[in-house]
Amino acid sequence: MDDARITALALRAREGDRTAAGEFVAATQHQVWRLLGHLADPGVAEELAQETYERALGSLRRYRGDAPARSWLLSIARRVAADHLRRRARRPVAPAEPAEDDRPLGRAPQPDPAESAAVRDALAALDADRREAFVLTQLIGLSYEDAAAVCRCPIGTIRSRVARARADLVDALGEPGAQRRSG
Amino acid sequence: MTGNSGRPRGDQQGMAGSSDCDVCREAVSAALDGEAGAAESARVDAHLAGCAACRAWRRDAEAVTRRARTGVVVGGPDLVDRVVGAAPGLRARWWGVTARAGLAAAGLAQAVLGLVGLLGAATHAGHGDDPLVLLGAGMAHAAHESAAWNLALGVAFVAGAIWSRHLAGLMPVLGAFIAVLAVLSGVDLVAGRVEPARVAAHLVLVAGFLLGLAVVRTTPRPGAGPSPGARWRSRPTEHGAAPEGLRAAAPTGWERESDVA
Repeated sequence: MDDARITALALRAREGDRTAAGEFVAATQHQVWRLLGHLADPGVAEELAQETYERALGSLRRYRGDAPARSWLLSIARRVAADHLRRRARRPVAPAEPAEDDRPLGRAPQPDPAESAAVRDALAALDADRREAFVLTQLIGLSYEDAAAVCRCPIGTIRSRVARARADLVDALGEPGAQRRSG
Repeated sequence: MTGNSGRPRGDQQGMAGSSDCDVCREAVSAALDGEAGAAESARVDAHLAGCAACRAWRRDAEAVTRRARTGVVVGGPDLVDRVVGAAPGLRARWWGVTARAGLAAAGLAQAVLGLVGLLGAATHAGHGDDPLVLLGAGMAHAAHESAAWNLALGVAFVAGAIWSRHLAGLMPVLGAFIAVLAVLSGVDLVAGRVEPARVAAHLVLVAGFLLGLAVVRTTPRPGAGPSPGARWRSRPTEHGAAPEGLRAAAPTGWERESDVA
């Protein structure tokens, strides 16, 4: 679903259209969840995604539609992740007990099955800023401009972070089997 | 690679500065994402033509990116039912529309009261000398002032119902006016200086004020909350990375100062 449509849904949801609100969540929740899995960690991604939507929908009335709703939402998700990491840093030993009853369909919070463990580990090992830039542009599919809006940094910063993330990934994953058929 | 087929290892000559390669790789990365300009792409090609290491890096970077993207991904929780309750309800919208309609109605009523007052003052003024002059104004002029003010408030209510963003600024004035008027009306009623019907007409003002507050509450406030606006775009460089003015602004060649994390 494209950004214009998502923004239109958000604006309708702001006017009290619950169906549009549901569609807005349905259209974006996978990306939000995926982003949070990378910015925080997969075990809490679901919980944080829920928190993200509670914050976003709660303040939807103040959303004016002058930035794409997806970027607006992802920037809230980013803040939720940052708050989570700060909380966790403050009290390091706080094993969040899994709320079984919160889990519909009995699905355990699992990391994205389609990403190989090696790639996931390599991503997790990246510097946080680089990982964020890489995930936003490559896995979520934002343009550099939108990613810069989400991170509130210049586009050039996104650009260099993505490049460095790529360099780190190349180093970490190495491509031993890559055919060198140059020339 | 365009052009040079077979330059097995002549590329290393001159130790093509590793910072050149760093800059090139950033541009290669941008090009992989479709974020590099045409001129920049041409410079990249020129560098790649002579640098086997960067050519290899580009292949690796492409492969790594493809692996990370992994095509269609399924999974993830379905949060719709759990979170949709936090969205503004239809009641909020209904309330907003109702409040605006009510405000417009109050405005019209107030404007009619003002006009009636104006006409009353006009007919009264025809009766020659005013027996009572207070602070330089006769009764007729005081009635004119009051009528003008009532009319203006009516117009303000109607305008507020239409352009609700400007309504908030009206509320303090109106609140103060109503508070003072309420006290004076009470005093005058007790002293028998005013008819209850005239005081009752002030209730239109109170209604307009309350409806105005309701409209203000249901209108998105400019600048409030996490609504990301233009200010994102205009932020200057933050920490770290040089803001290599993408595309156009990039100077000729690859000169740029070191680029370490």
